[in-house]
Amino acid sequence: MSLAAIAEKDFQDAVRSRGMIALVALFSLLVAVFAFVIRPTGQGEQFATELLLRFFVRPFLVTTLVPLVAVVIGYNAVSGERESGSLKLLLSLPHSRADVVFGKVVGRGVALSVAVFAGFLLPAAVLAVLAQTGGLAAFNAGSYFGFTVFAAILGVVFVAIAVGCSAAASTQRRALIGGVSIYVLFVLLWGAVTGQFLGAAGGIVDPLPVSTEQVRTFLRVSNPTTGVEILSNAFLAERLFSGENVNRQISAASMLVFWTVAPPLVGLWKFDADDL
Amino acid sequence: MTAIELRGVRKEFGDVTAVRDLDLTVAEGEVYGFLGPNGAGKSTTIDMLLDLVRPTAGTVRVLGRDATGDGVAIRRRTGVLPDGFSVYDRLSGRKHVEFAVRSKEADDDPDALLERVGILDDADRKAGGYSKGMRQRLALAMALAGEPDLLVLDEPSSGLDPAGAKEMREIVQTEADRGATVFFSSHILEQVDAVCDRVGILRDGELVAEDSVEGLREAVGGEETLEIAVGDADGAGGADDAAVEAVRAVDGVSRVDRDGDALVVSCADGAKTRVIAALEDAGVAVDDFHTREASLEDLFLAYTEGDTPTADEDESGSDPPDDDAADEEVDR
Repeated sequence: MSLAAIAEKDFQDAVRSRGMIALVALFSLLVAVFAFVIRPTGQGEQFATELLLRFFVRPFLVTTLVPLVAVVIGYNAVSGERESGSLKLLLSLPHSRADVVFGKVVGRGVALSVAVFAGFLLPAAVLAVLAQTGGLAAFNAGSYFGFTVFAAILGVVFVAIAVGCSAAASTQRRALIGGVSIYVLFVLLWGAVTGQFLGAAGGIVDPLPVSTEQVRTFLRVSNPTTGVEILSNAFLAERLFSGENVNRQISAASMLVFWTVAPPLVGLWKFDADDL
Repeated sequence: MTAIELRGVRKEFGDVTAVRDLDLTVAEGEVYGFLGPNGAGKSTTIDMLLDLVRPTAGTVRVLGRDATGDGVAIRRRTGVLPDGFSVYDRLSGRKHVEFAVRSKEADDDPDALLERVGILDDADRKAGGYSKGMRQRLALAMALAGEPDLLVLDEPSSGLDPAGAKEMREIVQTEADRGATVFFSSHILEQVDAVCDRVGILRDGELVAEDSVEGLREAVGGEETLEIAVGDADGAGGADDAAVEAVRAVDGVSRVDRDGDALVVSCADGAKTRVIAALEDAGVAVDDFHTREASLEDLFLAYTEGDTPTADEDESGSDPPDDDAADEEVDR
């Protein structure tokens, strides 16, 4: 109840920001540009929805831009209110600090999802209309919509990580440093960092009943961007939670759940002990 | 039942002790004024009531519950006007109040609350555009939601003009008449004077006085202080010893001091005109005179800036005495 009230208020606050409109416009514009680039040129050529999604929308938009936006939306969720003093107003009301942290995850997660859906589906609506009127052959609306869901899921996961970091940070500066680190780690340096880790931890892994290769795969799947990549590929191939790599999909999905829940919990643990 | 009960409460931030060994009890239905200069520990104490800050030692009980363990239940029955808060810039005033009503699971009409604090006309504007006084009123409306059993108001009049401060006092009075307990802090005494059943004065994290307003007034004998500028620019017509003696002889005068060309006279209420008359009879040109702050203010200053009547032996009270009130009016 209390959590829902905070989530709703935070959502209303977020969607009223100018950044929200800019975000929807940016997403729409990028999707439109990509769609234009891969448009069918020859007679009888079909619109390559999978190509658009797999090689343009995902690498440039979903696994690069969406996490960045999510971190920007989430990093000041708690620390910003703490620094401005609106947290005092919030905690004067009968809310627990857990309500605050998880309410923020929900409110901002939903706000980002709305931006993703609006930004992705506006150009898609144009494509669908073109496909209906025969101007465009075979735009696969189902694939496109499903893919958008995965983009939103990845956004929510990164919002959760960023909000957790925000709750743990006592100042905006620290929250910002944390947010940048999250992005750099998960989006840019995951392979390098986990590689280093494996190299250093070789001695620890060896006696365990798992092979280094299994650990490497686990670490790869642990990254939420990779997780969403695996799941969305399976979805586009119409083999979601079936086929030969179902185990990998399940571990990817559970890691996404882990990243949505664990960082806010750790952040709350620190936030709950602080004097505000 | 007691509304607020602090026992041996101590709060340290690093090596700074903000509140030390504070015992404080506020009865249900009481209006309690919590006084002290800025930095005395008032806000820290209030933050402990609301579980924003946890005590280093001691127990804090509010409405019969433990403040640290039961904060949400306490705040469901408490209205809070925090100090140094900010609003959600992009949300309207009405949205703020709706949120408060919903959070407290109350059924108040948000417009009625906004009307009560006098900002209904601006209810649809974004709160980011509100003035300091309007934000203060908005937070009060949020505090009043759900007919709280306890109101905790931290510096409620800050940012309000005199008319606004008066409205604030009237609202406090109405809430008290309804049966609510009111606990509010201030560094300005006159705000407390009119509405409080009891006041406590905090200094350097310790309660140095606690009494009814009448009790505190009696402690200083109901006197007021006159500052009288005498003589003209070249020194002629100043007060000589004879004139000082004449004033001292006036009925109701307890003390006369020279302060440069001015006289500082402590006297009973109503002796003012006799003092002026005595000076003029003695051939002294009275250039200007005014009554310095109410005597209760002097008591407050005495308690909070050094020479306390209770001779509190506190080595940290390093303020030089007696140079606070003399710095106005002696510049001629």
